[in-house]
Amino acid sequence: MMRFICFLCICFWANIANGAPVDNEWLALGHYRPQIFGGYKSTIDTDNFFLSPKGKISPQDELQATIDLFSNNQNEDKKCLFPARYKYLQQKGYALKSFPKCEKLEEFYADLQPAGVTLLFTDAYMNNPSSLFGHTLLRIDTKRKGTQLLAHGANYGAFTNGKENSALFAILGLTGGYYGGFTVKPYYDVINTYNNLENRDIWELNLDFSPKELDFFVAHLWEIGHVQSRYYFFSRNCSYMLMEMLDAVRPSLKLADDFPVQAIPLDTLKAVYSRQGLVKEIYYRPSRQAKIKYRYNQMSETERAAYIEAIKNQKYEMSNLSEEERSNVLETAYQYVQYQYVAKDLELKDYRKRSFDLLKARSNQNEQGKIKELRSGASPLDTHEAMRATIGTGMKNGQSFQEISYRPAYHSLTDNNYGFLRGAEINFLNTIVRHYDNSNKTVLQELDMVGIKSISPMDEMFKPISYAIDAKIERMMMPDDEDEGYVFKLKVGGGVSYALSDKIWTYAMINNYAVYGGSLARNQYMAVGGMLGVFADFGNWRLLAETEKIWATQKSGSTIRYKIESAYSLSKNTALAAEYLYQQNYGHDVDEFVLSGRFYF
Amino acid sequence: MYKSRIYGKNVTDNFLTEVKLMNKLYLSLFAAGLAAFASDVHAIDSTGCGLGSMAWRGQSGIAPQVLAVTTNASFGTQTFGITFGTSGCDPNGRVTGGTGRMMLAFLENNMEQYAMDAAAGYGETIDTLAGILNMDSAKLGEMSKQNFAVLFPNENIDAVTLTLNVMEMVKQA
Repeated sequence: MMRFICFLCICFWANIANGAPVDNEWLALGHYRPQIFGGYKSTIDTDNFFLSPKGKISPQDELQATIDLFSNNQNEDKKCLFPARYKYLQQKGYALKSFPKCEKLEEFYADLQPAGVTLLFTDAYMNNPSSLFGHTLLRIDTKRKGTQLLAHGANYGAFTNGKENSALFAILGLTGGYYGGFTVKPYYDVINTYNNLENRDIWELNLDFSPKELDFFVAHLWEIGHVQSRYYFFSRNCSYMLMEMLDAVRPSLKLADDFPVQAIPLDTLKAVYSRQGLVKEIYYRPSRQAKIKYRYNQMSETERAAYIEAIKNQKYEMSNLSEEERSNVLETAYQYVQYQYVAKDLELKDYRKRSFDLLKARSNQNEQGKIKELRSGASPLDTHEAMRATIGTGMKNGQSFQEISYRPAYHSLTDNNYGFLRGAEINFLNTIVRHYDNSNKTVLQELDMVGIKSISPMDEMFKPISYAIDAKIERMMMPDDEDEGYVFKLKVGGGVSYALSDKIWTYAMINNYAVYGGSLARNQYMAVGGMLGVFADFGNWRLLAETEKIWATQKSGSTIRYKIESAYSLSKNTALAAEYLYQQNYGHDVDEFVLSGRFYF
Repeated sequence: MYKSRIYGKNVTDNFLTEVKLMNKLYLSLFAAGLAAFASDVHAIDSTGCGLGSMAWRGQSGIAPQVLAVTTNASFGTQTFGITFGTSGCDPNGRVTGGTGRMMLAFLENNMEQYAMDAAAGYGETIDTLAGILNMDSAKLGEMSKQNFAVLFPNENIDAVTLTLNVMEMVKQA
């Protein structure tokens, strides 16, 4: 309450101060966000961003302090930290002293040689929990001669010390235990990290900024490069901060307003794309793995045979191939060796020798390879929306029920996979509520806090593991009395996948379960399951079928389950789904069928 | 930190001299660093950024990857992002300096790609280098391919030597 009164006082004081008028541009430039109980607060948390002691909560004070700073001839060092604010005041017609000579700032401009701004999206990386949703960063395009490899990526991220265990990391990441800030690095470094080390595709959205806006952006990036903010994994994260950055340049965009609670990278990308006249062009930069696969798919049978010989047995003669074919094979094999080294499948010594031998052979071919490079992919902009609600009706052991569910994020295997990393599933806080008609009972059927699944087929070149992690609360039927009770179930599983065709994948997994619940005898059991599954994806129609035998430390947990889930997309954001579950449990079986409509928004 | 000393203001921009000087500095710093900061050797060992430069920037194995801290995070402990970036081989995290310095930094970080493009005679890194050297890209590609064996005499080539080789090649053109 005290604080509330305090706010009122400040507002009141600000209004009678008769100072310079605070406008939207100033608010965006200071990263001020409206607060629930009125007033403003800046997202920036370090003191060095504010010239006024009350700057964090008073845009008015901060504006006055900024005018004061630039109206006298002192504090030149301080002035050098705020070039965008100076430009802002200048635009507004304030009488200011001239901007000082700032050596470091000039070096910054000289290195960047800015020509434009591009929003970058890197797709999901299933081997890192914090990259499951993808990542966004900005690129300051360069006007240097050559290519955009010499441009710079500007990345907003948390400063971690890299030594925390994953649990502590998660807690600190969720609760604002880290500070976030901007770093810049050459774009070639960004490409190496995402395309080559982590095998993630990069999407580049060129933004249509005027020269003046570009200049303002770079000046503001410099301002923001010296400060930090508390980093919250879901809300004040890498992607959210970029929204505030773009708003600062063009306040009419109001991008940050779209993300009051959670900022999923993909959603921020769509928000940017939705703003009229903001995105100019879109480019796709495939991961190394995607490039290799694309090249391999274009090879003839003889080329493939020679390629396998090259990567398995280091035979590079290929006397039966033409020069052109040899170029195709050698270049692909070289890229594969790079992949292998990063994947730690090769020792440095072997890696160097193989790389060198392959290129020596390639440099002796005078004909260029005719294999086409991968230039387009399924755009993340065309994916279904991340929030999902379903409404359905079903039958469980003869009892009919109605069911609704809500999932804030993100994607299931039976949702439309277009534009998503194929085989990757992340369900976050999926909640199902069910109403049984006969007993007129409404129950929380399931709360799936987090469910992650990565089905990734192995082939001759790539040997990824498939895995599943799931933590949920669910209603479970106790076989002894057929009563239902809530249990908390943790599942961790791993296995392998094999593709029968492009569209049909099979997989086998070993799952480990830990289950706790008041209705269970001794309140808990552990279990191990062996699962076989099929995942079929025909675009608009998907099917997931799994069968699992579970051995548990308790009778109630031991079971055989068969589950089939299928969905058909009526449009990008609507689908019909059918699920069938049969669970065998000492004669007390569960037989359940649900038909539902899925809506994405 | 150690490398930034190399980039002192007194280094002339005449690129050949610059790179040769840096070569020496690398060696002396390497020796000094080896003695004083054994664990930081990779930061000043130029070969650490050549073929196989990914080595110390990459992750080790699948388990650490799963548990790895965020790639959205920067691993540096610096408080000032932009002035002191955390890029692999570039001490200030930016594309900077004269032709020689820029070329070295570029080749340190893109040696694998350049080796490929040089063997083929064209590619993105050739276009980039041609930009840095202010020359025709097709010409540089052709030269790189013809001189592949000179540019890359063996598999243990490091970025400094490669940079010198490229400059020598371009000079003779």
